[in-house]
Amino acid sequence: MSEARNITLLIAACIVIVAGCVFIGPTFINPLHADDISLQIVTAIRLPRVVVALLMGAALGASGAVLQGILRNPLADPYILGISSGAALFAAVGLLGGSTIFSRLTVPALAFTGAVFTGAVVGAMGYRRGGIWPERLLLAGVGLGFLFYALIMLLLSLSTDEGLRRAILWIFGDLSMADWAMIPYGLFFILSGLVLSLWRAKGLNALMLGDEIAHSLGFSPRKERLILFVAVSLMTASSVSLGGIVGFVGLLMPHIIRFIVGADSRVLIPLAALSGGTLLCVADTIGRTAVAPMELPSGIVTALIGAPYFLYLLRKQDILGEQ
Amino acid sequence: MKRIIAGIFLLVLISGGVSAVPPRKIVSLAPSMTEILFALGLEERIAAVTAFCDYPPEARKKPKIGGMSNPSLEAILRIRPDIVVMTKDGNPREVEARLRGFGIRTYVATATRIHELPGEIRNMGKVLGVPERAERLAERIEDSMERARDVARGFEKGGKAIFIVWPEPLIVVGPGTAVDDAFRLLGWTNIAGDAKSRYPKYSIEEIIHRSPDAIFIGKGHADMRKLSRGILRRLEMTDAVRNGRVYYPSDALFRLGPRVIEGIRELGNYLEESRNE
Repeated sequence: MSEARNITLLIAACIVIVAGCVFIGPTFINPLHADDISLQIVTAIRLPRVVVALLMGAALGASGAVLQGILRNPLADPYILGISSGAALFAAVGLLGGSTIFSRLTVPALAFTGAVFTGAVVGAMGYRRGGIWPERLLLAGVGLGFLFYALIMLLLSLSTDEGLRRAILWIFGDLSMADWAMIPYGLFFILSGLVLSLWRAKGLNALMLGDEIAHSLGFSPRKERLILFVAVSLMTASSVSLGGIVGFVGLLMPHIIRFIVGADSRVLIPLAALSGGTLLCVADTIGRTAVAPMELPSGIVTALIGAPYFLYLLRKQDILGEQ
Repeated sequence: MKRIIAGIFLLVLISGGVSAVPPRKIVSLAPSMTEILFALGLEERIAAVTAFCDYPPEARKKPKIGGMSNPSLEAILRIRPDIVVMTKDGNPREVEARLRGFGIRTYVATATRIHELPGEIRNMGKVLGVPERAERLAERIEDSMERARDVARGFEKGGKAIFIVWPEPLIVVGPGTAVDDAFRLLGWTNIAGDAKSRYPKYSIEEIIHRSPDAIFIGKGHADMRKLSRGILRRLEMTDAVRNGRVYYPSDALFRLGPRVIEGIRELGNYLEESRNE
């Protein structure tokens, strides 16, 4: 019963917080007394930022929850599979090469291509005898991640132009240029990933009990893993291409939510998505407000507010369910 | 006669067309642009600048709209500027695209070299409705370039120099920069002039190997003498260090604006000093 109350409270808090974020920024905008400029700022700048933050955070939170399940590893996060490094590498090429013929969607499109490409390579490396093997997948992802990371550093160290600063800001997660143009693509891929994960949530619950039990419950562990891996890859790829690499949300948000509402994936996945989105929204709001009119990359803020809270929970509460 | 009248008519038309609506509220997205705007006497019309715009000192008092690579779009929009002046290599293209999307006029300066600066300033003068002042400033810069060439003619052959921006990690000034241009105008060779980028991370061996006659360090940073002790110890066998030709110039040449005049003169004085010993 208290779980149901926790869930209701969590959802209500998220909605209130996100709505508040729209009006907070370098200047507070009173929705009841907004002039033309304020309205334009809200519709053209803040709303797209809030929507992009929600989408990115939701994708990361859900991906983390799913991955920790299919890999049965509490350290798994959407970036451990190298997908983000692949996206960052492709994006860095676009940001540093920077020809003017490219449109505004070039960098997100490049990042998405890099992420999907990496996801496919990691998937192929982890694939054996008709299914995906957790350890192979993890090691392939980590290995590929190191390779891509080295290539990014190589690119950055050979470049000293202004693109360098832009590339670094992008890699840390920067939502300041979010606009409506990229939202439909992100929405489509992230919703597809979420629907796919929720559809297989029962399978994920079974997987967490171990492959043999999952098998006896009527699920094919290999097939379930493959479908869920595709869902995670889609969500992570879209998230990174929308606004770069934002740490913490994908790794630790699922643990916090699991602690609050329990480990049932059917509840955990949507709530990890909702709260991940809300956290990123708050982080971006702080990023644009705290040192206004300068801006802090959201990735830095999420870790700065999330990590201490997580460490507190780890110390004070039974977050891993050991007792 | 007809031609002259037509010419005058055209001139009036052009100048009238330009000065009809000179932008009243200007936002600057780069320190170099801010310095040019002040030099053009547009102080009153500058509505906001970046957090890095610290010269002239009055620029610090202007409202701020954030950094160069990540200015706050909201803050700019709220000001409702008539024009936003920015640079091609200092500000991201996305910012310009978004501003245009909001129907805000932009002026993107493309000059990156000293010889391109007078033309850029003349263009800005036309766009901002102060063509005469721009012409005067452009001519002053052209004069200072000419004086530098005179200095160069006074010597048979120039020496070799290196300009260290930061000692550890060792970043030096490469080709395609105002510093490189100034060396060239003064008849000197930048030993990192063949590097692949504008501010390369450079090899200390290569500096020793190419043995500069003069070493310049820093951008007017106060602690630079202390910070550069280590690197100078490692460079002690170069002619420059042995002969005590190590100089700490200001940051004047690192902003492509009116202060390049001072920068060229400063560099010229140091180089002449190193010659006359």
